[in-house]
Parts: sequence; C-alpha cells; structure tokens
Amino acid sequence: MHDTPLIGPYSPDDVLAWEPDGSRTARQFLSDVARLAESLPDRLTVINLATSRYEFLVGFAAAILRRQLTLLPQSRAVQTLRRIAGDYPESYALTDRDDTIDGIESVSMQHLQGLAPWPDEIPRVPLNQVVAIAFTSGSTGQPMPNKKTWGALTSVAHATGSRLGIKGGDRASVVATVPHQHMFGLEASVMLPLMHGLLMHAGRPLFPADILSALADVEGRRILVTTPLHLRACMTEGVRMPQVGLILSATAPLSQGLAHEAERHFHTEVHEIFGFAEAGSVAERRTTAGDSWRPLDGVRLQSSEAGWIVETDYLPVPVRVPDRITVDTQGLFVVHGREADQINVAGHRVSLGDLNQKLLEVEGVQDGVFYLPEEGSDFVTRLMAFVVAPGKTSEEIQRVLRTHIDPVFLPRPLVCVPSLPRNATGKLPQESVRELARQWLAGQDHGT
Amino acid sequence: MEHSESRPLEQEVSTLIVQTLKLKIDPATIQPEAVLFGDGLGLDSIDALELSLAISQTYGYQLKSSDPDIKAIFSSLRALANAIVKNRTK
Repeated sequence: MHDTPLIGPYSPDDVLAWEPDGSRTARQFLSDVARLAESLPDRLTVINLATSRYEFLVGFAAAILRRQLTLLPQSRAVQTLRRIAGDYPESYALTDRDDTIDGIESVSMQHLQGLAPWPDEIPRVPLNQVVAIAFTSGSTGQPMPNKKTWGALTSVAHATGSRLGIKGGDRASVVATVPHQHMFGLEASVMLPLMHGLLMHAGRPLFPADILSALADVEGRRILVTTPLHLRACMTEGVRMPQVGLILSATAPLSQGLAHEAERHFHTEVHEIFGFAEAGSVAERRTTAGDSWRPLDGVRLQSSEAGWIVETDYLPVPVRVPDRITVDTQGLFVVHGREADQINVAGHRVSLGDLNQKLLEVEGVQDGVFYLPEEGSDFVTRLMAFVVAPGKTSEEIQRVLRTHIDPVFLPRPLVCVPSLPRNATGKLPQESVRELARQWLAGQDHGT
Repeated sequence: MEHSESRPLEQEVSTLIVQTLKLKIDPATIQPEAVLFGDGLGLDSIDALELSLAISQTYGYQLKSSDPDIKAIFSSLRALANAIVKNRTK
C-alpha cells in the first residue's frame, strides 16, 4: 500500500466538522478542498495560519493535493514567521480572516458557495509524501525543521485511535483546546478525527465557559483534547460539563492529583500522550493508573550512545528522546524530566539556548540569560531574565523581544543588572544564575 | 457616562490583575484606558485564562470568548471593570 485515502470512513453526508454557522459534511469538505486546491498559488510551501480548525484542515488537505508543504511555525511571533518565510522563500501565508503578515504574501481563503459532486474515488496521498514541517527550537537560535510524511501522520493517528479504543465510524466528536498548528494539535485534533471518520469542532475554546459551550455544541460521545492547564482551569471554575467520553491531555505532564480530580469532575478516563515535535506522539498512559508510559504500537525505544532513541517504520531516521527516561524490561518507560537545555512553560517547549540567543540579538544588549524558577504554587511558572544593557530600560528590551519570541516565553520580570556572574572561563554556571534569581526575589519580597 | 459607576472598581481590578499575574508593578500605574494585552502590559492568552478564573472567583462573572465584545472587554482596565459591573453576581 503506497498511498491511502485523504479521509477516513465517512459517508458523503456524515458531518465532518462543526462550525458556528453550521455543520460541514464530508461531501462539503471534499468540495471545499478541491476548489481551494485549484485556486492556491503555484508555490512549494505554505504557512497555514487559519484560525478555524476546519479551515486549517481544508487548507492543509488542499496543499497536500497540490503537493505543497505546510509549515508549522512554533509560534506566531512575526519575526518567527518572517524567519521561516526567509528560509523557505517559496512560501505564502494562508489565512481565513483576511490577516496579513508584513513581508509575507498572504492568501485569504474565500468562502465558496455551492458544492462539487462527490468524487468517484476519494483522493489518495502517497505515504512517503512529505506534507508538513514542524519547527522546534534548537539551542543555536535557528528553528529546526522536522519533516512529517503522510505515512507518519496517518500511522500516529491510527496507533493513537487503536490504543484509545476509537473505532472507525464511531461518530464521536472531538473538541480541542490545543492549537491545530502545533504537532500534538495536528495529530490529536485534526488527523485523529479525520482518519476515524469522527466529527471535529472547529473552535479553539480557551475559558472554562467556552469549553463547556463547545462540548454542548456537539452530540454523541465527546473526546476532549486538552492540556493540564485547561483541565486545572475547568476544575478551579467548577463548571459542570456535559458528559465527556474521554479526555486526552498532552503538552505538559499531568500530575496524579490533577488526573484523579479530572476523572471525578468529568466522570471519565483521562489519558495522556507523550510526544515531541521531532517524532510526534510516542506513548500513552492512563495517568491515574501509574507513571509508566506505554509506547504506541509500532514505536520502539532503543538505547544508543546519545541516549534513548525512538524508531518507527515511518520515521526516516531514529529520533533522540529529548527527556531523561528509564525503560523497564517490558519496554514501558518513566520520564524524569527535560534535558538541561529544554524547558516547558505552560505546555510550550523551548530551548533556553535559543531564547538566550534571541535576547543577545536585541540591539544594546551586551549580555543576558533566561532562567526558569522552580515550580511553585503558581498557575503557571514563568521565565525571568537578567540582562546587561547599559542605557536601555527593561520595557525597551521587552518590546523588541515580543516580536521575536512567543509571548508565553517573555520574561516576568526582565531585570537589568550591571553584570552577570560569569566565571573565569566566561561560562555562566546554572547555580550562579539560580543564586542571582534567589537574591533578586528575596530583595523583592523585602522591598514590597 | 456609564464609566463613573466602575471607577471605584478599577482600582480593585487593577490590584487583582497585578496580584493574579504577579506583575511586580504598582497597580496604581496601570492606566485605565491603556492596552492590557499585546503591546500594553504584554499579557497573553494564558494570562487571560488566569485572570478569568480570578474574576469568576471574585465577582462570579464567567468570561466567554464567544461574547461578541470579548476583545473590547479585555482591551483596557476600564472596559474590564465596566464589564464586571454589568455582569457580576457577587
């Protein structure tokens, strides 16, 4: 089998997506895709910025049929988009709200009236066709591209579905709080429903009341694809939710306590996915059942000199696991934390080296370092930064940083200091930065 | 002007913002008409989520993105205080 159909087991009139102005059937979807595919510019790569999950999928599928690669930037920061567009000069931005990004050609998706007939054969996509590039943050400051083939995305969707007991034609509905442009969102909220003939909610609810109404929008068995942050918000708010059949969480570790609480609150099982953009979803666990992760079918963990690596039939080369893990004799594994350079803020992973690099690129900054304090009782633990920039204020530096990095990584606070405690060899030991942060925080407590 | 009824609340809400988001600034320095998100205080969607929980717990007002004027509500301290005055249940 060298190619597979673009969509899973849908009948023409099955509802594929829920939009605020009405539902979209599989027939409508294929029609929208075919029409958009005809009108896309003749380019090699597309940055799909559609805000509606359905419109994103239409753009993604149309690009696939035109053999265009969809680029998935790790943030929407203007400089990130421009840098990627610079690396892929054949790019254009595809938007559904007439947004324009300065310096990048933008194509707005037009709402087309009418319906093309159901095709005699569903379009098929070669398994080895590279359909997307997910970018991750590398320690050098350059976004690192990770190519995703159609085979990889469909394999992960099928492996995830079979692990979770989702059957083709279940007619369950997927509601997701995660962005569809990120790897987990693409896999769990776009590819998972598409390959199993499920309904996807096109929205991206943020507040607990939004999640409640999105769940109420759809019928049948509901699958909530979300993050620990949104689960905690729902529980804090105490919103009574409609019946949910399954919760799938990822992007940051879910604590046992929160998982137990969520299972009670939603009267359902909470499952977690472990993955990273380089390999996609890799393993699953029911959090309340224990700490061990079970690799998805077809995923093999191998020990190598560089640490643990992931091997699958769909990854062209093995991928190193960016976390410290231990693997037991049955192949189950426990995660002990991120490698030193990798940090996670509110479910977003980034390289500290990358952030430091971007800080040093700000005009007037002579030296600087980001620091992630130990997790406390706060809802979200934010980064802080210490900067040597004579004559500059922290507001000025923040303003420049804002265009270069995702807002979630902006330092709270950015502290201007006369110098950083570098040692004789010019290195900045982690302990020294921790001590600097401790002293600064202690000074704040006394000062206020 | 409807603004007048929310004035005393503006101070309270600016303290709530600063405390909830640990902003390390004096609440009195938040200008009532200044932009809160993006370029202003530089708040993001996670701040919005955190702030919405605090507002719900303090005033019993649950924010929704589907409110047609959600952007306006979050546009400034004054707009937020006005919305709380209109919708509070405690």
